Amino acid sequence: MDAVTYPDEKVIAFVQDFYIPLQIPFDAKPLSSDFNVKWTPTLITLGSDKREHHRTVGFLDPDAFIASSLLGIGKYHFDNDQYVEALTFFEKIISEQSQSDSVAEALFLRGVSLYKNSGAPKPLKEAYETLSSQFPNSEWTKRAYPYRLL
Amino acid sequence: MTNEIVWEKNMDSAIARARTQKLPVLLFFHNPG
Repeated sequence: MDAVTYPDEKVIAFVQDFYIPLQIPFDAKPLSSDFNVKWTPTLITLGSDKREHHRTVGFLDPDAFIASSLLGIGKYHFDNDQYVEALTFFEKIISEQSQSDSVAEALFLRGVSLYKNSGAPKPLKEAYETLSSQFPNSEWTKRAYPYRLL
Repeated sequence: MTNEIVWEKNMDSAIARARTQKLPVLLFFHNPG
């Protein structure tokens, strides 16, 4: 991460715009125990109440880092009931990071966020239809399977 | 814009900035080698 991802200009700009970056050695007690860190690199999106919203373990190249971070920030807003804000981050993954591993989860969470924001079930069904078409083998398609009946 | 990520090294100061700036924290556990 230090050699490839963090020196990348896109990553630097992204982190400056959307995060407060905090670097801690993996064996620093008590934080490594508090967060149950077993391997490096471990990246966690954290709220100011120290609540965890998203975690990855292992190397991420710059594009994967940005896609995963968009998902993390979207989940940070989602968990705080800020569905409109969450949607902007899930939409960015879907439109700008379409090759990333985060797209299927973003499609699922976009459907849920739209439902939570409007109360209308149609976005859930659309999420399943998009997932089953574009990602037939994804775990997120399986999780959305019941929405086909809405 | 700086040409590198300026990492906080202390949880309390990162949390205080997160609260003030209404941003999440990116907590990076690394192996300093």
